[in-house]
Amino acid sequence: MLEVVLRRLFVMPFLLLGIVTATFILAQFTKGNPLVSIIGAKALTNPEVVAAAKKRWGLDRSIPERYVIYVKNLARGDLGVSFRTKQPVLADLAQRLPATLELVICAMIVGAASGLLLGVISAQFHDRAADHAARFIALLGSCLPIYWLGLLVLFLFTVQLPWLPGPGRLDLRAEQIEPVTGFMLVDTLLVDSWNAFVDAALHLVLPALVLGWSVTGIVSRMVRASLLDVMKQDFITMARAKGASATRVLVHHALRNALIPALTILGFTFAYLITGSVLVEAIFSWPGIGSYAVEAARALDYPAITGVTIIGGLGFLIANLLTDIAYAAADPRMRGAAA
Amino acid sequence: MVDVLPSVFLRLKPKFTRVLLAAALVGTLGISAEAKAADDTIVVARAMDINSLDPARAYCDTCQIYLSAVYQPLLTLAADNKTIIPSLAEKWEVSPDVTTFTFNLNPAAKFSDGSPVTGDDVKWTLERLKNVKGSASYLMDSVKSIEVKDPHTVVITTKTPNSELLGILSAPYTGIINSKLASANGANAAEDAATSDTSDTWFLSNSAGSGPFTLESYKADDNLRFKRNDNYWGTKPAAAVVIMKQTADAVTQAQMLGSGTADIAMQIDPDTAKSIQDPNIVFQTIPSFNFVYVAFSPVAEGSPVPLTRDVREAIALAIDYKGAIDFTVGGEGKLQPAAIPNGFPGTSNLPDPETNIEKAKELLAKAGLADGFTLDLTFAAMNVYGIDLSLLAQKLEQDLAKINVKLALKPATFNVWVTDIDKPVPFTIGFFAPDYFGSAQYVQYFGMIPNMPWGTRAGVGKAEGLDGKEELELFNKALAAAIEQQEEAYRALAMKMIDDKIILPLVSPNLVLAHRKDIGGVRYSACCNLPLAEIVKN
Repeated sequence: MLEVVLRRLFVMPFLLLGIVTATFILAQFTKGNPLVSIIGAKALTNPEVVAAAKKRWGLDRSIPERYVIYVKNLARGDLGVSFRTKQPVLADLAQRLPATLELVICAMIVGAASGLLLGVISAQFHDRAADHAARFIALLGSCLPIYWLGLLVLFLFTVQLPWLPGPGRLDLRAEQIEPVTGFMLVDTLLVDSWNAFVDAALHLVLPALVLGWSVTGIVSRMVRASLLDVMKQDFITMARAKGASATRVLVHHALRNALIPALTILGFTFAYLITGSVLVEAIFSWPGIGSYAVEAARALDYPAITGVTIIGGLGFLIANLLTDIAYAAADPRMRGAAA
Repeated sequence: MVDVLPSVFLRLKPKFTRVLLAAALVGTLGISAEAKAADDTIVVARAMDINSLDPARAYCDTCQIYLSAVYQPLLTLAADNKTIIPSLAEKWEVSPDVTTFTFNLNPAAKFSDGSPVTGDDVKWTLERLKNVKGSASYLMDSVKSIEVKDPHTVVITTKTPNSELLGILSAPYTGIINSKLASANGANAAEDAATSDTSDTWFLSNSAGSGPFTLESYKADDNLRFKRNDNYWGTKPAAAVVIMKQTADAVTQAQMLGSGTADIAMQIDPDTAKSIQDPNIVFQTIPSFNFVYVAFSPVAEGSPVPLTRDVREAIALAIDYKGAIDFTVGGEGKLQPAAIPNGFPGTSNLPDPETNIEKAKELLAKAGLADGFTLDLTFAAMNVYGIDLSLLAQKLEQDLAKINVKLALKPATFNVWVTDIDKPVPFTIGFFAPDYFGSAQYVQYFGMIPNMPWGTRAGVGKAEGLDGKEELELFNKALAAAIEQQEEAYRALAMKMIDDKIILPLVSPNLVLAHRKDIGGVRYSACCNLPLAEIVKN
């Protein structure tokens, strides 16, 4: 097991270098001019300004030269300075990543809980009205465009029925919380501000609901199918025969077994939620990594594009490693396969 | 088994409901208490386009708002959007040959740290603006020397006559910086400042101006916070704090306004504005100085036919200008005759653009193109000033079909379009917003003059009928004209630019400024966009 982990860790920097190289080359050969985000479109017609900006941002060097400099800096943990925000990319990412993670984790809780509940209802009331209703609700979340749904809930719950706060992570007019972890729910508690904690939680409700509902369908469908399958198994009949209550049969016997495939699906939905967060972040003015990536791509902000890709690639590699370790830990037969 | 779930749910429900209600109650009470304490805080919802907060490097619409709130130029623009009035300079004199400008600084003027604004700060700031070679450095192109006569007197000499300099010195980019403070943090005005000045990052979290506000904090893609300058030497602003919240979507901006999350929204398009019926929201529809145009490059490769003046005029005559305004901004816009915005020097009594299909057909027949041709229209697929450029392109496609000219629409991302137009391309859609109040910037950008951006793209000196000599002569005359003669001088230039038929302005859209009913002092300024210091919450 240890050997597998060490081998994976050894390969990881090389894989990352491959990701960096591919991203770097692709970004450089994309049509467009990164100077637009540095000096603006109008100033592109001023040769003096263009020359100064190229020199200042190293764009007067050849692509191989820039690549070598980038990799050298990367080895020191320096991801460069964003053309667009003019701040170190690492600082930009550190500021935005927790915001996205907080949103995605909450959305995942919403998606998993609602998917589980609806899946169980569907399975229990198989082919009856409740099943159809639960499947319809779950399906609706998958079908409704996030953009439209976001605007609708904002209109309903912040304008028409002012029950919840509008876009953003905290009430702008309230005292601002200095980020420690970047997770508002944690940081507000760290400064012992219960009001701010509630405010942060309320700000999370709508974006997490919109984003979470989009995966409810996938989870509920998987839970429903697994549960229906498990309920036909002999050990369920045995449990019933032994006089176990309906609740006990469902929760302790059927659901526990039906959840395994659903958990696998949750891993996939995490990636889906990260992607879906781009739109939610735009509608709810959520300063996360999704909108940062979109703006970086739009502005041809090379350092930011490469930085986001590195973080994404690193996350993917770590997730794969953890999955393999988890599989190996859960199933001894997988230990050899993981190698 | 059927009754299991409801019982589980019922067991959970009262507890869950109690927790939720408690949280909502605490939250509501807590938030409302804090909101009450923040009554003098103004929230502005805006899609921010900040590229820097350093006056020498910043160049964007949001930068204009920021710089005019935090820094002060020597002069500024009055609320009538045409009169230059004192700012840091209490009075000024212009030599008869329009080359020497003497400014007397207001002795009361001081920076936010309490230190006085001196002539040395003025000289340092303007030289730095030139030497950092940021986007707005072109404003200093005509300056020959800056001399500090005494701590409160500065003399600026220009290389050639420049009646535009007073307008330039009211631009927010010329806001005077506390040179000692900025120098201590990596800024310098030396000739190699483009590479040796390292203060860009410092300016993202600090300010060094004398304006009514100071920078409290800036989080890119999130918010920009201004704090009232307690050392401000003028009338202090009513708002203690102004927060500009990054809000990319126009509909979200409208909803933030509706819910009270924002007090002002700046980029609500006319269609969205019309759909909102909320007695608590006030919509001000103001003519703007922004405009969208189409432009020809007669020397562009890939043009299917020679884009002669007759062909250009035929296309110009086929465009339904009023229809374009109705189609793109629901009638909320103005016709603009020349590539100088309405209300700027030289634009009085200019002839409105004409639509005449028969005449257009005649001109094409004269050019041997009665059967028409296909022309590429390159444009950025985006929304500018509330105009969807894709929609505008479709309108042009319909209009030109009437004279058998088939437009092949070539949408691109903004970044790609910017690169494409310098190739150049035969026909494109562009847009422009002023950097300051003055018409020279338009001649410098759109004039058929050698080495000017559109002069180069259109092929001045190469294309038939575009030698550039007459326009250059008129431009020099306008720059040498006394202030009171500027209107006439720039009008001659505007007429020549109309006659060139290279730049065809299509729409000057109205600006929709939306705010809550209890907010006052919201106005649009040609130099400063939204003057924050004038905003009050009643």
